[in-house]
Amino acid sequence: MNLIRIRHLMIWLAAGIVFDLLLVEGRSVQVQLESPSELTGYWMLGTIIFLALFNLRKRLSMLPLGNASTWLTLHVVIGVFALAVFWLHTRTIWPNGMYEKTLAILFYLTVLSGIIGYLIQRIYPRLITQTGIEVIFERIPLRVSELRQKAEALVLECCDQTRVDTLGRHYLDSLQWFFSRPRFTFNHIVGSQRSRQWLKHQDEAVRRYLNEDERKYLDDLSRLARQKEHIDLHYTLQGAMKRWLLVHIPLTAALLALSFWHFLVVNVYSL
Amino acid sequence: MVSVAHLTRPQRWDSPFDLGMGESDVASLMERSEIVAINAAAFPDQTPLAGILQNDTRIAYYKAGDIVVREGDYGNSAFLILSGKLRVFVGDYPDALLGRDRTKKKGIFATISQIWTNSNIPEARDTKMYESQAVRSGDSRGARSRRRSSPTRVFVQDIPAVLDECRTAEMGEGELFGELAALGRIPRTATIFAETDVALLEVRWQGLREIRRFDDRFRRAIDQRYRQNALLVHLGETELFSSLDEEILGKVADATLFETYGAFDWHVSFQRLQSSGQGGVEHEPAIARQGDYADGLLMIRAGFARVAIEFGSGQRTLTYLGAGDTFGLEELYAAWKSGETVSLGASLTALGYVDVLRVPAQVLEKYVFPEIASPPVETVDTGTRTLAENALLEWAVEERFINATKSMLIDLNRCVRCDDCVRACASTHGGNPRFIRHGKTFDHWMVANACMHCADPVCMIGCPTGAIHRSEVGGTVVINDETCTGCATCASSCPYNNIRMVEIRNRSGGALVDPDLKRPILKATKCDLCYANPGAPACVRACPHEALSRFDFQRDTLMEGDLS
Repeated sequence: MNLIRIRHLMIWLAAGIVFDLLLVEGRSVQVQLESPSELTGYWMLGTIIFLALFNLRKRLSMLPLGNASTWLTLHVVIGVFALAVFWLHTRTIWPNGMYEKTLAILFYLTVLSGIIGYLIQRIYPRLITQTGIEVIFERIPLRVSELRQKAEALVLECCDQTRVDTLGRHYLDSLQWFFSRPRFTFNHIVGSQRSRQWLKHQDEAVRRYLNEDERKYLDDLSRLARQKEHIDLHYTLQGAMKRWLLVHIPLTAALLALSFWHFLVVNVYSL
Repeated sequence: MVSVAHLTRPQRWDSPFDLGMGESDVASLMERSEIVAINAAAFPDQTPLAGILQNDTRIAYYKAGDIVVREGDYGNSAFLILSGKLRVFVGDYPDALLGRDRTKKKGIFATISQIWTNSNIPEARDTKMYESQAVRSGDSRGARSRRRSSPTRVFVQDIPAVLDECRTAEMGEGELFGELAALGRIPRTATIFAETDVALLEVRWQGLREIRRFDDRFRRAIDQRYRQNALLVHLGETELFSSLDEEILGKVADATLFETYGAFDWHVSFQRLQSSGQGGVEHEPAIARQGDYADGLLMIRAGFARVAIEFGSGQRTLTYLGAGDTFGLEELYAAWKSGETVSLGASLTALGYVDVLRVPAQVLEKYVFPEIASPPVETVDTGTRTLAENALLEWAVEERFINATKSMLIDLNRCVRCDDCVRACASTHGGNPRFIRHGKTFDHWMVANACMHCADPVCMIGCPTGAIHRSEVGGTVVINDETCTGCATCASSCPYNNIRMVEIRNRSGGALVDPDLKRPILKATKCDLCYANPGAPACVRACPHEALSRFDFQRDTLMEGDLS
């Protein structure tokens, strides 16, 4: 077992021990005929604040605040811990009261977006690497544009050299749509092979009407289309890996704000 | 019909060291006693001594105070003092004197202050820091008037004070220096500056190599210097010879032969071969061939060599050797033990430039092997790895990533392309990233375009001010922004395109332009491993997925899912 795995295991173990201690402490408070919600509430707020600090750590990379990988492990473990503490605190999966329901929805959505983000960050890198190409996300529009220009030049050359416009018409009817911008976004998100199937279909649909010279151009065009398909996959998956944070972080911010208000209200009126 | 294009075959002296070196210069040099002492008759017709002087040397003039060579720098020239006096530092001296980076490790406040001091303007600089730089243009009088531009030099500002405060030794007319570093591709071991105005004959390594090759007296003198200065220490530090007493060690040193393979400026041919797709073991100079009789122990002194065996229709790389490694010991020992001839089990070829010491078999058999208690252990993996497992090593050798001590290796199966590493780099470098998260890929590994802090840093050869140098602590290759003249020698030399030339601006965003040349001021920039910042490199610390590591292909082991 390597050091990274040992570290992960230690963090999970520590979280488990802390949760057990919290349960014991909660029982002891209950025995004293007091409500354990106050104790678990403080823990809840503490864990949410700690989870939110991960984003701050990312922005303060110049400071020696520990490895981001350790922070991520802590973020995941304490995120799971927070879910357990949330149920301990509310003693239900779905609380009563409008404000509490809003808090619960925000909390669940934050957790859900976090789980989705974690999963796509574990799965998508491998799918991207399997394309065999590497492209920087910000350069994808340029690469798509270059491929489109190459494809159009190829089709024009084909029409010009063979004096037949079959491939040109086919390009205008279908492939122009494909080359115009990243396509098959949803299919790439869910890991479907729809784009490959569509390209194969477009190739087969026109090939029977082409002569030998035109088929060479079609082969080149199909090669460009496959490159475009890989770049589309990069665009979709890299985009998803960047954009899920645009959901997770605002939800966290909203949850944090409402939790503070909840904390204030409880402290002012209930205690 | 295949068309044929004609091209004159490139000649040895197509690119002379100095176009301004005239026949009159050569004639006057040929009359000097140091040159007369060289046996000109021993040189072949195609490379006469006069030709070497005309094409491989130049006369360099230094003003009093100019630093000629700096300790720790890499250089490919030796110098013969034609006139004037120089001083060599023999004791401690202030580092700032050499135009070296004076950056200190940042304290906690300086680290935190980066939050608000990092500029939004790209490559903004405080121009005041350039006012104190001790850099000036070199002299371009006399024969040098045909040169295109004068070199820029770092100089000692107060010579009397330096002579008072530091221990120095005098060097005068007729003395030769810098030849060991130039021939051995090792860092300069001393700092030498001009005490008076001096004229030096600068001989580039190609010329030095030819003179050493054809003139016995010169070769013996150079070899003797090396034996006296470095070889005994080098052998004594080698485990195999560590048990020998001083007298025996001296005998081994006397019998040791010096050999060099490949081109000193290998990075130039490497880039050319890479772009034409002609790399590979078949183009590498052979040091020893598989099946040949092992006539001596080969010790790598500088550079890298590939150990390969014949496999199918090609050569399979088993490993590569760097400075301090040896080749052929097992075969030599086995031959001595059995009394039979044992041939080499693998070939050794030069990866770029390699400096080799050859200890003859007879010397080993007489002095060394009887002292060895147990036979040398086979360290090369000769076949337990599958071809697929070996492919990463082949790739790293082919791309010369073996030169790296801190390559930025990214596991693409873990990398989520978030660019947190790039942002972290920028945050520790005034808002400017010092690498590009892009580079050559193999399987799911990427070596990104970040300085690899090479074992053989060719970028450091030829820097006119020594702005690019190794830091004292850790040996990180860093650039002193204050003394960088923006000549781009380092960026052009880097075989991996890891040095970027940037146009700098002042703090208010205004472009800085040289008033004479009307061109933007350029500075060389690259990864410095965050050596001024506390903690490990920011890029490594910033990766949440442990996808990024700084990797040494020779020392570190690559395992699936493990990048510790």
